[in-house]
Amino acid sequence: MYAVGIDIGSITTKAAVIDDNGILGTRIISTGYNASEAGQRVFDELLRECSLKPSDIGAIISTGYGRNSVTFADKSLTEIICHGAGAHYLNPSVRAVVDVGGQDSKALLIDDKGKTKDFAMNDKCAAGTGRFLEVMARALEVDLDAFGALSLQSDTPCRISSICTVFAESEVISLISRGERREDIIAGIHESVAARVAALAHRVGVHPPLMMTGGVARNIGVVTALEKKLGMPVEVSSYAQVNGAIGAAVLALKN
Amino acid sequence: MHPATATEKGTFMNELDHFQEAAKNPEGYGKNLKASGRPVIGCLCSYAPEELIHAAGAHPMRLFGTKEAIVNADGHLQTYCCSLAKGVLENTLTGRLSFLDGAVFPHTCDTIQRLSDIWRLNTDYDFFADVVYPVKLNTQSALDYTVDIFERFKKNLESWSGQSLSEADLTRSIEIFNSIRDQLAEIYRMRSKDPACLSGSLLSSVVKGSMILDRDELPERLFRLRKEIEEGRYAVPGNERKKRLIVAGSLCDHPDFFSILEESDGVVVWDDLCTGSRYFDETVDIGVPPLEAIARRYVERRRPCPAKHLSNTARGEALAAMAEEHKASGVIFFLLKFCDPHAFDYPYLKEYLETRNVSVTLVEVENQLPPEGQLKTRLETFIHML
Repeated sequence: MYAVGIDIGSITTKAAVIDDNGILGTRIISTGYNASEAGQRVFDELLRECSLKPSDIGAIISTGYGRNSVTFADKSLTEIICHGAGAHYLNPSVRAVVDVGGQDSKALLIDDKGKTKDFAMNDKCAAGTGRFLEVMARALEVDLDAFGALSLQSDTPCRISSICTVFAESEVISLISRGERREDIIAGIHESVAARVAALAHRVGVHPPLMMTGGVARNIGVVTALEKKLGMPVEVSSYAQVNGAIGAAVLALKN
Repeated sequence: MHPATATEKGTFMNELDHFQEAAKNPEGYGKNLKASGRPVIGCLCSYAPEELIHAAGAHPMRLFGTKEAIVNADGHLQTYCCSLAKGVLENTLTGRLSFLDGAVFPHTCDTIQRLSDIWRLNTDYDFFADVVYPVKLNTQSALDYTVDIFERFKKNLESWSGQSLSEADLTRSIEIFNSIRDQLAEIYRMRSKDPACLSGSLLSSVVKGSMILDRDELPERLFRLRKEIEEGRYAVPGNERKKRLIVAGSLCDHPDFFSILEESDGVVVWDDLCTGSRYFDETVDIGVPPLEAIARRYVERRRPCPAKHLSNTARGEALAAMAEEHKASGVIFFLLKFCDPHAFDYPYLKEYLETRNVSVTLVEVENQLPPEGQLKTRLETFIHML
């Protein structure tokens, strides 16, 4: 049997299809304005890519903030539950997960079955998330994909003290006009994101083995800064961004 | 809508509609009551001895803060004050509470205590009183002291109203409030037994309405409401299958919170809120001198507010017992941001309850609920974990 997980996030929509032997394919598209349409499109594209028909799929679970707009899903579960299940599927020894997505960041503890035991979620603002990094990339006129590698070239990161995204953006602009190196500014931005995420992680008491998931985990600069802030290794899978969709598919398969 | 029944006024209304209307527009209700010639005294928390106000011929009305933007109050209060203090001050400074004859400020937390000074200096109501409770409750001197402060509060009321307050007046009021408390507790018990008999948001409007509606009419209203609930008029089938939860905190003036929980497959079967069971928990003994009897209810209550001290583990024990009694598997702490007495207790209570296999989560709010999407994600995850 094939099972599909669809994760509709604030910026991207992800889908994964699995069977008893493993992951068959994954797909990422922009969510855009219409979450319901994005869910349908990512499903169609994923199936086409894997040469599967809708009738081949035995179970579908939707997740993410747009989870309830996937009308063809059998069930919806929150992304916290799915990230826990996904991380456990990718590495069964993992006991703590930090998921940083477009507008939310979450830290969770999972048991030896991948079930969520405790969690914390950013509730005050979206500082320390993907959207924060996007705004900074725009201010610096640097492609966000280049952020990670650039920041690793810095040995004197700038300090970004504002938590508010808009204030932090104007701080970055001041740093640019002061002539600070772009690498140092980006490294400072990553430290600021890592500080927010680490504070959240401490609220649930994360411990190794820890996995970081979500789109921001693709940024090696944030991962490195987070390792330093937490004082523990942070594992990142090549499936980090689609981890929520994988978790949803795993739970659909179990169902 | 629910089927309608005839009321004493000849209009067609469910009893519950009276509670809902008052809960939606407390200021409108207060204004009408005042226009009918009854003085109205605002009360800041569940430690306001409402029996004395009622016995003095006035109407005690709980103040809830505002859902409107805070424009005037920020100039008087620090940013670390809770939204309740800010909302109450905002309401008075903008004239929304102009129907009040005054207010009473029980000293539970420091913010309310300081708000009392700011209120006194910036308003010109006829009546004002502080009721400065002891912090530690479990001593004889705490009881003696509480009786003394009630004597003083009684004198405040007497000199304002120009009438002396007899023991018979007090006893009559105690009986009315006891009936209100008993009946609210009975509705809670009915709902704990069958959570499908009434939705959580409607239950919250019953408690809130009870803090607003005319207390002379309230026992009858609650009696009729209980009958309506028993008849199944407000039944929400399906609630009986949901995960049973307890909500703990100070003030929860967000009926939508209970609806979101029920949509997320959870149902609140009891609470430890000052706009919930702490309002009606335990009655006042009859046959004891009235002021001492009222004082005993406050100092001897098993579930005190966190601003009061009973013992290091009293609140944990009470919550664990509540969870066991009502077969709840989780406790949601619903706290106002910057409410330090509650925030200070939270880490210990979380640990205490979790070691007793009761799951715990925290939702912090201001005068508005957090965005629904995020709140639902947190609540659904928590309920799924149970």
